[in-house]
Amino acid sequence: MTTLVAVAENRNGTRFAEEAMGHLDTLYRGALRLTRDPAQAEDLVQDTYVRALRYQHSYQEGTNMKAWLFAIMRNLFWDRFKGGRPEDVSLDGDGELSLYDTLKDPTAVPESEVLDRIAADEVVRAVERLPELHREVVLLVDVEGFSYKDAAQVLGVPIGTVMSRLHRARQQLQKSLQDYARESGIVREEKESA
Amino acid sequence: MNCNGCLEKLDLYLDRELTDAELGDVRGHLERCPPCEHRYLLLAGMKRLVKVCCDQGAAPSHLRQKLVQILF
Ligand SMILES: [Zn+2]
Repeated sequence: MTTLVAVAENRNGTRFAEEAMGHLDTLYRGALRLTRDPAQAEDLVQDTYVRALRYQHSYQEGTNMKAWLFAIMRNLFWDRFKGGRPEDVSLDGDGELSLYDTLKDPTAVPESEVLDRIAADEVVRAVERLPELHREVVLLVDVEGFSYKDAAQVLGVPIGTVMSRLHRARQQLQKSLQDYARESGIVREEKESA
Repeated sequence: MNCNGCLEKLDLYLDRELTDAELGDVRGHLERCPPCEHRYLLLAGMKRLVKVCCDQGAAPSHLRQKLVQILF
């Protein structure tokens, strides 16, 4: 009996490990965006897997393992690199960016063309310049395709917080990319008035 | 639905977080309102760009090997 149980447990462990390893590339990319440093990203990912292995009994088979792993990694990131998990304070200032408005001009360069001409490196840099609390929401929702609900669970915040951080992050990204497009001459300078 | 109502729901529309009825309302407004549609296309283009640009690159093979030793 004991042997059969041991064999079954071993098989479960292997399945767990295989599934977890299937998320390695995506976790590493997330770690790279969070730490902005390849060596730290490796450490973070390794620690994430060690912790995942230790707590694998708390993972329920058939649920979202990617979300579970991201939650472990995200908490480790804050504990290890930022000296503690963030309070759920609002980063959101009042100053609404008016970039949506500046782009209303129908004679302006079509947005899709502008975006097509922005280098991938510049987009990554713009994401990495976001404050961590905004960056992690963008990673979860826009890069990993998590629902707001799953993202809220990973981050341990209400869905409303996910929404406001995401909105703010997108405004910042848009401003970053817009500034870059102007500075590099992809779009012409717009007049102050109008 | 007016422009403000539409803009408030634009993130949710983009991220497919609306009910079918709400989705229809926003889509209806976007079809009738070029400025809002313009904003939506920009937002959608950015989301796509972020996804494509941040979703590249694999974990280093020595990290993979180390993890295999730890996990199996
Ligand atoms: Zn409108």
